[in-house]
Amino acid sequence: MNPLPVLVLLPIMGGGLAWGAGRMWPRASPSMRDASWWVVLATLVVETLVLAMATFSHRAHAGPWPGHFAMPWIPAMGIAVRLDMDGLSLSLIWLSLILCFLCVLLATRQATAHAGAFRFLFLATLTGVIGTFLATDLFVFFFFWELMLVPMAGLIAAWGHEDRQRAAMKFFMFTQGSGLVMLLSILGLVITHYRQTGVLTFDYFTLAHTSLSPTGAMLLMLGFFIAFAVKLPVVPVHVWLPDAHTQAPTAASVLLAGILLKTGGYGMIRFNVMLFPDAAARFAPIAMGLGVAGILYGAWLSSAQDDVKRLIAYSSISHMGFVLLGIFAGSRMGMLGAVMQMLAHGLGTAALFLIAGAIQDRLHTRDMHRIGGLWAAMPRLSSAGLFFAMAALGMPGLGNFTGEFLVLLATWRISPLLATLAATGLVLAAIYALRMVNRIFLAAPQADTRPVTDLPSWQMAVFACVMAFLVLLGLYPQPFMIFSAPLPLPATAMAGPGGTTP
Amino acid sequence: MIGHDIFVPAPLLVVSIGIMVMLAATAWRRSVGRGFLCATGMLLLAITVVGHHTGKVPDGGDSLFVQDRWTACTAILIMFSTLCIMLMSWRDAGVTREDEYPLLLMLGTLGALAMVFSANYMPFFLGLEILGVSIMGLVTFGHRAVPGHEAAMKYLILSGVSSAILLFGIGLAYGVTGSLRFMPPIAAGAVPAALPVAATIMILAGMFFKLSAVPFHMWLPDVMEGAPVPVAAFVAVVSKIAIFSALVRYFGTQNQPPFLDDILCGVIILTIMGGNLMALRQAGFIRLMAYSSIAHMGYLLIAFVCPGRLQSGVVSVYLAAYTVNTLGVFAAMDAFAIPGGPDGRVVAQWKGAFSSRPFLASVMSLMLLSLAGIPPGIGFFAKFGIAAAGVEHQRDLLLCFLIIGSIIGLYYYLNIVRTMMAAPALPSVKLNRQMRPELTVLVIVLSMIVVIGGLFPARAIHPFLPPPVAPSGTGDGATH
Repeated sequence: MNPLPVLVLLPIMGGGLAWGAGRMWPRASPSMRDASWWVVLATLVVETLVLAMATFSHRAHAGPWPGHFAMPWIPAMGIAVRLDMDGLSLSLIWLSLILCFLCVLLATRQATAHAGAFRFLFLATLTGVIGTFLATDLFVFFFFWELMLVPMAGLIAAWGHEDRQRAAMKFFMFTQGSGLVMLLSILGLVITHYRQTGVLTFDYFTLAHTSLSPTGAMLLMLGFFIAFAVKLPVVPVHVWLPDAHTQAPTAASVLLAGILLKTGGYGMIRFNVMLFPDAAARFAPIAMGLGVAGILYGAWLSSAQDDVKRLIAYSSISHMGFVLLGIFAGSRMGMLGAVMQMLAHGLGTAALFLIAGAIQDRLHTRDMHRIGGLWAAMPRLSSAGLFFAMAALGMPGLGNFTGEFLVLLATWRISPLLATLAATGLVLAAIYALRMVNRIFLAAPQADTRPVTDLPSWQMAVFACVMAFLVLLGLYPQPFMIFSAPLPLPATAMAGPGGTTP
Repeated sequence: MIGHDIFVPAPLLVVSIGIMVMLAATAWRRSVGRGFLCATGMLLLAITVVGHHTGKVPDGGDSLFVQDRWTACTAILIMFSTLCIMLMSWRDAGVTREDEYPLLLMLGTLGALAMVFSANYMPFFLGLEILGVSIMGLVTFGHRAVPGHEAAMKYLILSGVSSAILLFGIGLAYGVTGSLRFMPPIAAGAVPAALPVAATIMILAGMFFKLSAVPFHMWLPDVMEGAPVPVAAFVAVVSKIAIFSALVRYFGTQNQPPFLDDILCGVIILTIMGGNLMALRQAGFIRLMAYSSIAHMGYLLIAFVCPGRLQSGVVSVYLAAYTVNTLGVFAAMDAFAIPGGPDGRVVAQWKGAFSSRPFLASVMSLMLLSLAGIPPGIGFFAKFGIAAAGVEHQRDLLLCFLIIGSIIGLYYYLNIVRTMMAAPALPSVKLNRQMRPELTVLVIVLSMIVVIGGLFPARAIHPFLPPPVAPSGTGDGATH
């Protein structure tokens, strides 16, 4: 059995089961785990087992990378379901699964109404994300890219906070609109290839060998870049992000910040840099400038927020600036730094959103004016918050530091000015992170604080696992760096199984 | 010519006989149920014989009708749509005891089929008028007498004007070529060169009017809004398919002459932008669907002006996707209506539908998202195909407008979904909901077509379009 299609389909099927279970056996009391929750957990456990199988077993197949799956889908247009897996996709899928476990274990309080539907949409998003990470047929990639929007927007619009529907709408419009530009780029590339060779195919590896004029390559690359820039997000098109992250329910915030932003980074590595290396190199100065602008702008705005989730959202923009910088730095070191930064940011920010969600569940506010002095009341939650805030500001010894350091090193080789400016972002990061810690956890307690319960010890244990992982990424990143590096394209074009000749 | 030698496609015959049987049955004893049963049976029979014909294919292309894969494809779509619309209106027409209703629907279908199968100006124009007159009758049905009559009157007058223009164009074309064959006139002999151009433009204008492309679109929202929901679906689907099919038959699938190409591009841009922008501010659901259908005709025309390898499959997939999605929206709207309660014709009435009528709200969302081109609906693949055809032909300007239009479209479709997700305004009153099993079945079948068609579109891509006509214009008769 090939694990790759199972990886893609399992979550959505489990989600359907969870929905059905939620309808058949609704939860008896709010404190109890219901049947649909157990279905979700079982789905994730099986998914993890399949992923472990995909990671450690080696099968003989026709693909250039460790994992491969191909099946014809729409032969008339040269479209086939092609899934390939290299270290980059594998590590990002591992990250997705870890974050899903976190959501399922820790963020169950908010989705009380229609919990089954919530879990279905949650797992459907996971299917879209994993499909995006695995697809090497451009049509299939685009299909999953669009597919993950719908459940995500549904999660925000139906279970979010005050202004949820506007936020969901904005998120949907931005991502879908930019996706259409990418669609034109995909089609442009495919048709160019068709004109040159007479083969109509959407296969990534075959299309990588299309010879393009410099202008054409630049235009096509920009089409991809716009879509990924919206998702990452890069500064002028980040507008949807603060609203979406703030208004989403905790689990959706975690998915958004932890994984959906990474699909943007993944796409840039996989499609911009690897499909159009020359155009990407020419575009690099602009992209790196945008990256630095994102670092500074995100950090600056983050230090001016009063809403906890908004603060974390803007800090994400800042961190994703480092990813953009690293991807376009043009060296292996920068690329590795970007990947490390994506992994560390995924874990750290997800944990921060979970903590913000836990605070909101207890105090019913996200306004930092009305939260204060939690340390006395909730020492466990506060210490976890402190740890992840330190990770976000780039404390040496934690995962983010590794990524940022590598990116800065790679940038310094190209442009000391940009590296200096980006490093200034770290100072701003210290400001916003410490400001958050000070106001929420350390300041004088608010007068009207009600008695609250701290995190139970088993939840603390879950957070401790994430902390341990971040420390591991910070202290001994070498195996992860080797493991998660994107594999280069094979030198010769494969014979596309679904390619058609006229 | 002896009777049994005349080349007539079988569906036309079956539907005509069905209409006569229905007329005879009406004369004997009036019964709505029998009318519907007879019409449904005849339509099913006509679908099964869609590839057959009487007589033999005449040589030299001087026949009245043509039959090939394109006619089969569009005729099946038309008859399938009419079947769905019959199901939608079964209960309502039964309550009001209007037995002319199925008869008019069948007449309209006959007109649409005649347009699809025509290879000559005569059956085309006859079909157009039969369709127009029966739509006018259908629009006035239902209880809301005043807006219905107003809409029918508006349709009658505007449709008459456009038919006159079309007829004038046909007359000019006949004057130029001396033949009634259904193809653009080509100047021959001592005829001034402007004459065939004028004829073509007039015919094109008449067709655009029926297709409701933008400078000629004003009638559609008013007529659809004034009509009962199933009739609005009939106007939005059946008449559009018929006229688009005839348009493709008339102008062929080769590259168009430059003057025509410029006109088409201008009209496409106006149609996409006009339809989408005017749909933005609509509070009436049917008006919104009318403008969105205008925009969809614009997208479809993009595929029409991009001949090439992909065009053939793309056009049929898009037409099928548009048909199924629009029918799905109207079927859900029809099922939403409660006697004495909200009738679902205003977007605001759908507020909170996800909590009060979750099934209908989910189906409606699926249909709307599919219309907007979001997977897993079939509309996603259809829009993808349109973009692919445009890129293949390097229609950069049209593609830009396709994207802008799609984004605007996404906004108003999502707005409806957002309204349905909002908390209901009033605590839901228990209205006596009518059980309408036939509508439930219809809605489920349409949703399944949308999802399965979206996931496995490979089956739907066949080269259905007629092959490009050679410049000499020798018979594109029955290549069946």
